[in-house]
Amino acid sequence: MPGPHPYQLVSARSPLVWPRRGGSLSIFEIGIFVACVAIAMIGFSQNLQDIVVLTFLWAGLALAWNIAGGYAGLISFGHAAFFGIGAYTSTILFLRLGLSPWIGVWCGGLLSAGFGAGLAIICARLRGPFFILSTLAAAEVARIGALNWASLTGGPEGLSIPPVAGIANMVFASKTPYVFLMLAFLAAVYAVTKGLEASRYGYYLYSVRDDVDAASAAGVNPLAVRTAAMALSAGLTGIGGSLFAQYFLYLDPTFLISPDLSFQFALLAAVGGLGTAIGPVLGSFLITPMSELLRSYLGSQAAGLHLVIYSALLIVVMLYFPSGIVGALGRISGRGRNL
Amino acid sequence: MTAILKVNNLSCRFGSLLALNDVSFSVDSGELVGVIGPNGAGKSTLYNLIAGALSPTAGEIVFDGRSVTHLKSHQIARIGIARTFQIPKPYRQLSVVENVMLTAFQREKSVGRARALAVAILSEVGLTDYVDAPVATLTIGLLKRLEVARALAMRPKLVLFDEIMAGLTPTEVATMTKFVGDLPARGITVIWVEHVLYAIMKTASRIMVLNRGEIIANGVPAAIARDPAVVKAYLGEEMNLA
Repeated sequence: MPGPHPYQLVSARSPLVWPRRGGSLSIFEIGIFVACVAIAMIGFSQNLQDIVVLTFLWAGLALAWNIAGGYAGLISFGHAAFFGIGAYTSTILFLRLGLSPWIGVWCGGLLSAGFGAGLAIICARLRGPFFILSTLAAAEVARIGALNWASLTGGPEGLSIPPVAGIANMVFASKTPYVFLMLAFLAAVYAVTKGLEASRYGYYLYSVRDDVDAASAAGVNPLAVRTAAMALSAGLTGIGGSLFAQYFLYLDPTFLISPDLSFQFALLAAVGGLGTAIGPVLGSFLITPMSELLRSYLGSQAAGLHLVIYSALLIVVMLYFPSGIVGALGRISGRGRNL
Repeated sequence: MTAILKVNNLSCRFGSLLALNDVSFSVDSGELVGVIGPNGAGKSTLYNLIAGALSPTAGEIVFDGRSVTHLKSHQIARIGIARTFQIPKPYRQLSVVENVMLTAFQREKSVGRARALAVAILSEVGLTDYVDAPVATLTIGLLKRLEVARALAMRPKLVLFDEIMAGLTPTEVATMTKFVGDLPARGITVIWVEHVLYAIMKTASRIMVLNRGEIIANGVPAAIARDPAVVKAYLGEEMNLA
């Protein structure tokens, strides 16, 4: 059977068509962004604005986690350490040297990226659960370090940023600037993610996630790719940590570098849809307001009940929507993952 | 012809098992060399050593005039040695074309051009209708073709095929045999491990027979089919190549 198509026998079209990836934005994504800007401009009450700030920030952090966990398959339960390193770096630079947080934020990101790269170089050769455990352990080291290096971190008492409002201090009297700050962070991490998806570096991440042997046989250096993915993910998480410090104005090591926070980044991404750009955003938009509202409505009457409801919902999502909100929406709309 | 690959006194030991014992051979540029032998003979070990997935206990591998004995897999791939896997190892969450693009990136840095190259290679192996399909929908025969497409997308100088015929229908074997047979004319040297003997015996210019980690025969297919040692170790009876 000569000719350009030697396999003419197979002519049946495959039933499923996987959509192309790309850097362009869909109408759905533009709609979400417009809605975010609208929500940021509406003058909500202080309590509601607090929820909006956290929703945007956690969405950006879930996206940052997703670069390592979703795209590169480096499931990390230690990202709170990078969050904490970012928060401490900008705060200490401001308190000790008077360095403006607008610069300190980048320092926090760079230092976190360095630690992320180091962790990947040491631990990324571990497969599956062993890598996950190593990230958990590394974050514990960071937490214990922050608790005990009191001369630098303030120890268990933590650090406070003086609430002196001013643009140079990145401290604001009203919550509205914070809403826009966090939205800018979210949009920036989203842009990084979309750019990654559209470039060959994004494909390198998929390849080491799906089959590392095939990836090396294709000329992809797994260690370099994993190190870069972890550094980018950790760096963005560190920037988020610095921004959180500027919003909260108080650094508590047991909250900043807690496994709870690491799990939260991972859960928001998983609930939304791992390895998708819009997934972690939708995950945060669904889960963060819900958990904050549950906390404020149930917290006073039945302590802990909000956590029970929150956890039950997570179990339901993982049982019935294993590919997250994005997978469920894709099935309903028949558009696959191309939302 | 000049030797593109030289293997000198290569040995590989796993604990008490000597998987390869002092193996030496060379492959000329433009050859199509078949490698046969019973299961456990050391064929996969040999591939893993050449491709850099394993490091040898002793010996040397020379490719294109330079020693590549201790290079890692990705470095071996970058200097022009491609391989397929006996059990296909696709990227499960990617589409067929994306699977091929990942090797095409070695030749084409832009996503658009890598995709175009991948689509062209896919049409060569008859996967045009599956370009955008998720890889999970492919049958074993199609996955074997995908392995071949991925290896060729990096435009290698030397390609190591590992049982690309297993699980194919007779018609598919015939077309794939012709396709592989045409590769040396396109400047691609081929080493081919195969159990589907009639395919490899007709196509290869030379056959090497491995048994218990040693090369027990090395010659043209007609001589191999009659070699008493090969018959005893692997074939069972003389092969009629007519």
